Amino acid sequence: MRNIGVMKLLVAIFVANIIESYIAPILIKAYINIPITFLLFSFVIYKSRFNTNALYAFLFGLYVDFISDSPIGLNAALFSMMAYVVNSYANTFKLFSFIQICLFFSGSSVFYIGFSHLFINLENFSYLVLFISLVFNTFLFLVIAMLRLYFPSLTLQ
Amino acid sequence: MSRVAPTSGSKALYFLCIALSSFLLYLDINYKSFERAKNLYKSFTISSSYLLKRVTIDPVNYIFEISKEKSKLIEENKKLKQELDNSFITNFIISRDSNFFADDASIKKFLDLNNINKPFHLAKINSFDIEKYLCCSQHKMFIEIFNNKDIDFIGSTVINNQGIVGQIIYDKSIAEVLLLTDISHVIPIISDNHFCNARGSGRPGVITCTYSKLIWPDPIEIGQEFFSSGMGGIYPSNVLIGNVSAINTIDDNNIHFDLDLVADPLQSIYIGVVEGL
Repeated sequence: MRNIGVMKLLVAIFVANIIESYIAPILIKAYINIPITFLLFSFVIYKSRFNTNALYAFLFGLYVDFISDSPIGLNAALFSMMAYVVNSYANTFKLFSFIQICLFFSGSSVFYIGFSHLFINLENFSYLVLFISLVFNTFLFLVIAMLRLYFPSLTLQ
Repeated sequence: MSRVAPTSGSKALYFLCIALSSFLLYLDINYKSFERAKNLYKSFTISSSYLLKRVTIDPVNYIFEISKEKSKLIEENKKLKQELDNSFITNFIISRDSNFFADDASIKKFLDLNNINKPFHLAKINSFDIEKYLCCSQHKMFIEIFNNKDIDFIGSTVINNQGIVGQIIYDKSIAEVLLLTDISHVIPIISDNHFCNARGSGRPGVITCTYSKLIWPDPIEIGQEFFSSGMGGIYPSNVLIGNVSAINTIDDNNIHFDLDLVADPLQSIYIGVVEGL
């Protein structure tokens, strides 16, 4: 995949945040949480041909903090951590199967949910949400990953 | 092309960014240092969406209305609807004698305390993060108060047609309402002659209370009604807040119970703001 421009990514994250704000209230009734903005950013840095700068991840995290009304610094820290992990294991990922990649991303999303809930929902911290989100996200990513097998035109160039 | 693993220099930069983020997080959570910036952003988005609507959707609607030659009727209809909402909020205070207030005396006291023609202002919910309301501990909403006078509404009680919803904590271009269920919110409540400071649980529609049996020997029951005590000076007294829904014994002396609130903030987009008591 070609590297996506900063402006395009800013707009994409803004739209993803709006979509998330509409979907999340419905899904949370079933104890499911999908951090779409975080996953979008993770996917972009995963698919990037170059290593992501720490400041780039940090500033995007701050941007998400502002638009999503999260405590300032929460997404900045998580985006920086994710960027570090993806950059560190970028070459190792090439040895992984798509199932392992899906597991990595669903694990990351659950880590994101758990970590953010430690700050914004500590009093009602729910392991049920984490577990169901893990299962749901894993299946969701597997379905998305398998789409390219059935619809090759969807494969990102 | 392979990607190079982070060097020690870039690792240090990552560490620095994470440390800086943690510091910002600490400042925001403990000192609310970025609250003004967040509110500024919020008011900007609300204003811009309002302007955008006026520039794009409203003219189209207007043309549509003109084409049907019913614009006057529609305008009048809008006015009547607003008046209806206004009277609905006012009547609710007067008519809900059996559910809303503890007794008739408290209604009289409430009406005496507040000149009924003056203190209520109709408001409309402008922004309500339902995602945060359903998942997390922060329960806030942003409202637009229909008021031409320059009144400071900070600390004012916010009600809907079911009961008390919360209080205003920020009032500049838009007003920010802290809901009863927000984890940082506390409301003194009363049932018979027993007092308790009820704290927001962070769950929708539930507040919690903890009391000691040593100072409150009488048992509480499921379904028992609790009213605002008015001791904090923010909320009017003797307004029905909720019913006991769950009771948990913490230890031999301490009891913790949940109250299901009678007022659901999602019930209506129109709410009432009572001027500071």
